[in-house]
This record gives sequence, structure tokens and C-alpha cells, in this order.
Amino acid sequence: MRTTQPALGKYICGMVASLIIFLAGGWLILAPFALGYQPYGADWVSQTTNDFATGIPVAVVALASFVLFFYSLLGSLRAAGVLTARVRPVAQVTAPYQAPQALVPYQTDLDKTLATLAAALAADLTARRQTGSDQQSGQTIDQAVN
Amino acid sequence: MRIGDAMRRLVPPGSLVLFLFFLAGIWLAISPFAMTTQLSGQHWTAATVNNVTLGTIMMVVSLLGILGYMLFALRDLIRETQAKHGVAEEQAS
Repeated sequence: MRTTQPALGKYICGMVASLIIFLAGGWLILAPFALGYQPYGADWVSQTTNDFATGIPVAVVALASFVLFFYSLLGSLRAAGVLTARVRPVAQVTAPYQAPQALVPYQTDLDKTLATLAAALAADLTARRQTGSDQQSGQTIDQAVN
Repeated sequence: MRIGDAMRRLVPPGSLVLFLFFLAGIWLAISPFAMTTQLSGQHWTAATVNNVTLGTIMMVVSLLGILGYMLFALRDLIRETQAKHGVAEEQAS
């Protein structure tokens, strides 16, 4: 696992700024009613329309900005090794059979046992193939003689 | 590192969004006067005080966010460069 010193200050700075602006956007939406310059039940005055038209986009974009800075922070923590990345299941690929080589160092007893077993099976298969080919050639010679 | 790459690290898309907030703050602060809902020479209404205050807060916070990100990114850039030089010197010696 790679370990580097995480640089988090810039992300936290962006997150704090986004959070404050998100709160400001929320207050902009509430302010006409909270401060009383928009009477209930009446048509919206131009200040209320302006506050809503500004406050809603500001709040939405600030929230998106906060989330993006947060994901960047998580990415930085993963890169520094503080957080572990998700382990994805990898499809197993069956490797073609290779005869064990004498020079390969055996790491465990299980490896050694399996290698011995595979070598014995390979030798047995080879012997059977040789026996089969001998019988076939014998039959061919008999047919030729007859 | 090229200047373009360094600028990309110092000014990420997030800082551009913060600059949009800065522009929104300017608009909020001047909107009562631009929309003539605040008459000149009169005492400021509650809506004007609210908009000017919030606009100023948004301008200050977004500017601080941009500058803060830039300063931290610059510090990280300098540290990375120093670390690379240190490794190169160790390999050379």
C-alpha cells in the first residue's frame, strides 16, 4: 500500500466555503418570509422573486460543489492509503497446465504435494499414450503381415 | 511541470464554481439598486440590508475559498517538487 502525506487543507477549504454559501442560499429563500417584506397570500414582490431566483441555484450548486469537494477529499485519502479502496471481484482465469519445473522453489508443503501429484498424473498420461500408440502400430503390422 | 498543468492544479473546476458564487454575490449586493426597489436617499429597507449583507458574505467567502484552495495547492506543489528533487539527489549520490 502506497503511503504519502495526505494534503487535505485545500479540500476542506472548498468544503467550508461551499457549506457557508449553501446556508446563505437557503437563507435567501427563507428571508422574504422571515423578514416580513413578503406578505403571506399576496403576489410576490420583485425582491422576493429575485431572492428566490438567486437563492435556489446558489443552494443547489453549492450543495453539488460540496459533494464534489468531499469526493475529492475521499480520493485523496484513498491515494494516501488512509482509506482502503473497494475490493472488486475479479474473474478468475484458468491458466493452462504447465509441468512443474525442478528449479521452481516450493513455498508451501501444499504446493509441493500438488506439484508431485501433477507430475505423477502427467507421467501416467504419457505412459498410457505410449502404450496406446504401441498397440496401434502392432495391429497395423499384423494386418500388413496377414 | 508545465505552467498549464500547474494552473490546472491551482484552479480546479471547484474554484470556477466559487467564482460563480462571487459573481452571484455581486449581483445580490447591487440588485436592490439595479431593480430600483431601494430608492436613493431613503433609509435602507429590510430587503436591501439582507441582500447587501448576504451578497457581501458570499463575495468574501467565495474569494477566501478560491484563495485558500490556491494557497494549499501551491504548498502541496512546492512540497512535491522538493520531494522529487530530494529523491533525485539521493539517487545521484
